Amino acid sequence: MIERFRETIRAAASQKRALRIRGGGTKDFYGGPLRGEILDTRDHAGVVSYEPTELVVTARCGTRLDELERMLAERGQRLAFEPPHFGETATLGGCVAAGLSGPRRMAAGALRDFVLGAKIIDGRGDSLSFGGQVMKNVAGYDVARLMAGSLGTLGVIVEVSLKVLPMPASEATLRFEMTQEDAIGTMNRWAGRPLPISATCWHAGQLMVRLSGAAAGVAAAQRDLGGETVEEGARFWCELREQRHRFFEGPAPLWRLALPPATAPVPLAGEPLIEWGGGERWLRSEAPAEVLREAARAAGGHACLFRAPFETAEPFQPLAQALARIHRSLKAAFDPNGVFNRGRMYPEW
Amino acid sequence: MQTNLADFIRDTPEGREADGILRKCVHCGFCTATCPTYQLLGDELDGPRGRIYLIKEMLEGVAVSGRTRLHLDRCLTCRSCETTCPSGVQYARLVDIGRAVVDRLRPRPAADRLRRALLKESLPRPALFGAALALGQAFRPILPGALAAQVPRTSGRGTWPQPRHARRMIVPAGCVQPALAPDINAAAARVLDRLGISLIEVPRAGCCGALRFHLGDQEGGRRDARTMIDAWWPYLSQGVEAIVMTASGCGAFVREYDHLLERDSRYAEKAKRIASLVRDVSEVVAAGEARLAECAQRSKPAPLRLAFHSPCSLQHGQKLRGVVEPLLVATGCELTPVADAHLCCGSAGTYSILQPEIAGRLREAKLAALGAGAPEAIATANIGCLAHLQAGTATRVRHWIEVIDERLD
Amino acid sequence: MSPMETAGVEPADFLAERDFGGRDREALLSELSRVLPRGALLVSPEDARPYECDGLTAYRQLPLAVALPDSEDQVRAILRICASLDVPVVARGAGTSLSGGAMPHKDGVVLSLARLRSILALDPLARTARVQPGVRNLAISEAAAAHGLYYAPDPSSQIACTIGGNVAENSGGVHCLKYGLTVHNVLRVRAITIEGEALEIGSEAPDAPGYDLAALINGSEGMLAVITEITVRLTPKPLTAKVVLAAFDDVVHAGDAVAAVIAAGIIPAGMEMMDQPATRAVEPFVHAGYPLDAKALLLAESDGTPEEVEEEIGRIREVMAANGATGIRVSRDEAERLRFWSGRKAAFPAVGRISPDYYCMDGTIPRKRLAEMLTAIATLEGKYGLRCCNVFHAGDGNLHPLILYDANAAGELERAEEFGGEILELSVEYGGTITGEHGVGIEKIGQMCSQFSRQELAMFHRVKAAFDPRGLLNPGKAIPTLNRCVEFGRLHVHKGGVPHPELPRF
Repeated sequence: MIERFRETIRAAASQKRALRIRGGGTKDFYGGPLRGEILDTRDHAGVVSYEPTELVVTARCGTRLDELERMLAERGQRLAFEPPHFGETATLGGCVAAGLSGPRRMAAGALRDFVLGAKIIDGRGDSLSFGGQVMKNVAGYDVARLMAGSLGTLGVIVEVSLKVLPMPASEATLRFEMTQEDAIGTMNRWAGRPLPISATCWHAGQLMVRLSGAAAGVAAAQRDLGGETVEEGARFWCELREQRHRFFEGPAPLWRLALPPATAPVPLAGEPLIEWGGGERWLRSEAPAEVLREAARAAGGHACLFRAPFETAEPFQPLAQALARIHRSLKAAFDPNGVFNRGRMYPEW
Repeated sequence: MQTNLADFIRDTPEGREADGILRKCVHCGFCTATCPTYQLLGDELDGPRGRIYLIKEMLEGVAVSGRTRLHLDRCLTCRSCETTCPSGVQYARLVDIGRAVVDRLRPRPAADRLRRALLKESLPRPALFGAALALGQAFRPILPGALAAQVPRTSGRGTWPQPRHARRMIVPAGCVQPALAPDINAAAARVLDRLGISLIEVPRAGCCGALRFHLGDQEGGRRDARTMIDAWWPYLSQGVEAIVMTASGCGAFVREYDHLLERDSRYAEKAKRIASLVRDVSEVVAAGEARLAECAQRSKPAPLRLAFHSPCSLQHGQKLRGVVEPLLVATGCELTPVADAHLCCGSAGTYSILQPEIAGRLREAKLAALGAGAPEAIATANIGCLAHLQAGTATRVRHWIEVIDERLD
Repeated sequence: MSPMETAGVEPADFLAERDFGGRDREALLSELSRVLPRGALLVSPEDARPYECDGLTAYRQLPLAVALPDSEDQVRAILRICASLDVPVVARGAGTSLSGGAMPHKDGVVLSLARLRSILALDPLARTARVQPGVRNLAISEAAAAHGLYYAPDPSSQIACTIGGNVAENSGGVHCLKYGLTVHNVLRVRAITIEGEALEIGSEAPDAPGYDLAALINGSEGMLAVITEITVRLTPKPLTAKVVLAAFDDVVHAGDAVAAVIAAGIIPAGMEMMDQPATRAVEPFVHAGYPLDAKALLLAESDGTPEEVEEEIGRIREVMAANGATGIRVSRDEAERLRFWSGRKAAFPAVGRISPDYYCMDGTIPRKRLAEMLTAIATLEGKYGLRCCNVFHAGDGNLHPLILYDANAAGELERAEEFGGEILELSVEYGGTITGEHGVGIEKIGQMCSQFSRQELAMFHRVKAAFDPRGLLNPGKAIPTLNRCVEFGRLHVHKGGVPHPELPRF
């Protein structure tokens, strides 16, 4: 399988043809236009090793994300960053390449925080291995972690080792009536206290808070915070993660603003939904891209056109000049002939 | 650390001692974190690890200039690094050796020598220093602000209780202290009297040797030490149980008489005996803490917010940490929190006179830390720190034993 | 594909290190002295010599000069001057590295960042601190303490090491099993390239557009850019924390207990192991009350709400007892908890009390191979005639064997190095890595050739070149050249091929 990938890549490289790396195709909507011949990763599947006491799982890129999570759950473990699937065919490779994290991100860390190692094939067709299966590793630059969120533009991620964690013994979801401004303040103040908050979401005057951990700790926090206990909490967070919540319905472009969490409400046209303690702010808005980007930049963050019915703007916030130069050099270092996912991250490459 | 000392020193007693100390240092750099001058100046050469390196190079025969001496001069010898050092490096001993060697290899310029000579001849002499100080105090009202700040205020000496207890201890009169704060020893005598101990002052015994020794006159320091031993020795046969030190700077030095005179065949044994009998006044009071608390309860003193500055000679030199504080609390003082309590105030013997700029910056930082909890007064345990701090603040700075003495009335 | 074809696309500096000799020293010094304040440029060997090594004294090199800037503008000016004169630059924080990462270059300038030591902003609501690189790790936690917050990564040298150095090395600590490494706790880094351009890497927002350059700058060992500002994430202080101190009469049992704790679904805030020689070295300094007759000690910490901690400590106790612990103590108060830890934190230098020198290793292995590794180390002690104290971050499989030697005794350093080399290669063989948190520096550069293939090493060189095309930042460290690997006699070979037959052997 690896050999077939390598041959395909070498052939494309020698002819300077574009390849489009694709697993389940569940995130085709994300990033720039899709170009080139498909390099299908789904057949390179399967778990290479999993030992619960090591807290590490190593699996091939085509492994289905739902199957992987099911296997972990059987041993009482999980991917703590709670990745969105966006469809049942989602694969591990696509998950890492997209680099997206779910509701637990602020409490547990982002996907990139759990990447321990990766085997990749670069644009020359060379098989390379970075990082490993151990928790700590500072030998060489952390290229494995660089792969997280690289949208397949640097190489084919053929195998990944991820840190896994035990499932929380207990969870509870609380609901509070609150304005946006109060919710942002509250979420940040609570985040500064040793509370077992594992997710937050504010939308349309309601703040939802999830607690996770040892039963005693969750119960104590529930008493401390008050609010109304939500029975169907698990379903709420799953729908939120998968963007099946009603907020995500309808044709208006979906923007994702990543901001310093304590930023006051940003006055922009459109309906907001806030996650990650204020750090991730979804916006259904027809406002011009420049307006949103400037507002995000001014607040110390960035804006991404996450989903749109048709191409209205570049998906990602443009980079400062010095950073753009380094990006181009890195792209050339991994993929000198520009084979992989052309234009998926930035139009120039 | 690997060492290869040069011929000129390798087989001397100093060389052997230095080699042993150097080989214990593993160059981890922990010491830089608690070194006042490194934290202030941010140069490896102004931290213990860098100075150890400079000394090592010099002892290994590499030519030195005045630069090495400058960095050794900038060391306060506060010994904070020794407290931090997990490897047990006896830094102060090494720096003493280093200073002696650099003075030999690169003699100081004449002006510098003169200044040091003046200091070491005036300060240790109670009469001379007292006269100079009295002059300064007399003119304080008409001195410009900056200069006036350098001359401390004085207070009179209170009564000294009659020796009435079977338990007896002696206290040296000291050299600088009687002129600056004559009531400290008397206060100690009054407190100990309440605890069932009679304190007897040994008159006019002079300086313990610390001043001369640390001004580069190591032989002069040893001479002072012998004089001191001769003055105290007769008391030992009269059943005196301890030699009580009310200035922690002197205490730290006298406690090491055994090491200072270990190669003096006539005095080595006596020095060992003397060193073993030295107690800081806090240790003696702490042994009677229960009694102290009783006395305090009877006298019901008014609440007092106090910031305590533990002198380096107490906490690092004598390794007496957390001894004074509970005594102050036992007499009803409320201690305000003090950040970076391990750092030197900049006094450090004659350092504040010889390195005024660094000493001033350290004092500023120390007074800010001491003042953070808005105390009514500052207490400390060494006359040098007391005078140095007092010169920079309107808040009264006192010896903690005076504070306790007052609260037992 | 033949090696010759690959060589054609390999980066310029991959084959051999550049020679920086013959630069215009006078011009360099006169330009540097123009941009630096008085006393901030050390040139004479007498002044520069104490900078010739960091915490690893076995490797020393006198630099051309040492610069002590106190502002980012000065840093930028120094870098521009060095770039224009083609002079190498080695950045340095507190010089506590154990891998020689801050060892100077003979033709280069040491750029000390110790004077950039201000905490620029501390935002309790956003839980962030924006600091200069020379701020000490512990000073951040001290400043945040008033707000019930702290900076989580706590390398043993945290009292002295600087946050800039922590980022450069991606430092760990005793609590990273639960709270992560530096890379997990640094939000944003501002760094200056060798050309003097400022880079804003990462963000105070949860992520930043483009590639995750923060993944590269953390652990980059001063090879990519010079860090001038860092925003760290602060963590709420747990309401309470307790440590279980368990004694074992056999290191293997202790190793099994570690795996059993994880298998029970517990992630302790920290889990550390010390063997008997290490315990005996530190006890006289810290007076922690460690049992000196135990062959191994395990320290496992639980933190959280009092209810959670009570529950978890109970479970940890059970697991320890079930795995053969001969004695178990739980810290009774905060002072005792800190005392239990202090011995572990002071373990390295405390070894200076029993041996004039030590060589500290840093391999990481899968936890399940712990007992095997300990047995192998015991065999190697006999083989090399040197003693070894073992201190581990047991929770994450990170080993710190301390090989004791006497640098004044002929041949001992060489034996210690060989001993250490064998441990590192065993780490790789067991599926681990040669360095978990101390970095490669100059010390483990040879073993990099065992861990990585030629193509992988080439990729590292390309990554460096993307930031520092002329290779002026910390040259000769962290990533070996091909010539060095040949000299070292090792290169990880895929599929049994002969390594680089085109290169001459010497």
